[in-house]
Amino acid sequence: MSQWLTLFQKELLEMWRNFKWIWVPITFILLGVQEPLSSHFMPQIINSLGGLPDGAVIKIPPPSAQEVLIKGLSQYTSIGVLIIVLTTMGLLSGERKSGVAAMILVKPVSYESYVTSKWVGAMLLMWGSFLIGYLATWYYTGILFKWVPISDFFASYFYYGLWLTLALTVTISLSAMFLTSGMAGFLSLAIVILMNVVTSSLSNWMEWSPAQITTYANKLLLTGKIPDSLFPSSLLALVCTIIFLLVGIFVFKRKELASS
Amino acid sequence: MITINWGLLAPIIIIQLILLVVALIDLVKIEKTNGPKWLWAIIIIVVNIIGPVLYFVIGRRNH
Repeated sequence: MSQWLTLFQKELLEMWRNFKWIWVPITFILLGVQEPLSSHFMPQIINSLGGLPDGAVIKIPPPSAQEVLIKGLSQYTSIGVLIIVLTTMGLLSGERKSGVAAMILVKPVSYESYVTSKWVGAMLLMWGSFLIGYLATWYYTGILFKWVPISDFFASYFYYGLWLTLALTVTISLSAMFLTSGMAGFLSLAIVILMNVVTSSLSNWMEWSPAQITTYANKLLLTGKIPDSLFPSSLLALVCTIIFLLVGIFVFKRKELASS
Repeated sequence: MITINWGLLAPIIIIQLILLVVALIDLVKIEKTNGPKWLWAIIIIVVNIIGPVLYFVIGRRNH
């Protein structure tokens, strides 16, 4: 355990030195906050551009606070996932390529604690940044529109977090398999997008797909009721996360550590 | 006339500035970047938000 903590601390220290603890949360704040701001100021923006002839009336019904929050959340599942993948894809493959992994693993350090310390570190960064960013989005939505109940906020935060966790774990797992981080990043994005596309096109047959979590969380926000399939799909997401993590550790053990 | 609510916009402008400054500090400190340094300085300063993020993701390769 103390060994794991040392590895974990090294991981956190490295994230400070990379400034990840600064730029990832800031990016997540900016990503989410732009939604309530642009929706609120849209009439003024259109006015100031002055493209409308006299007498033309455009009535845009102001979106509800929940809709604005959902729009903000969709930023996190698109650009947010991209940022998560880009920041985690090099965690294992980069260290293996540079020889750091070999240097650490010649010492009596288990592969499990090596991989899981990196995983927990990346998870902490993701959940923390997502919390800060989403909280800012919620706050701005509350000021500019209406206040969404904090319980709904935390419920949607948790379920969206599960989906982001799966994306992150897929990336770590692939990062253990490939030496080039670009390959790992590309493939994990492909897997996440494929899951989304397949699930949304076959949504009737895939009620329990982890990619549905975000849809269900949106429903939860809009109606305040928990959809029936939310729990099975979250459970499946959790199981998939664990499987990907185990596969990652397993592959990492078998791969040659020294590259070229 | 657009009335600008500075209380709302100021925090966002400030954290954008923090992002920019942190990226620049790191750029000055770091030994080697992925590509010429002066180019990254221009990208960080000129391209709002995306510039610093691109630098952190692509520009800084610490091998």
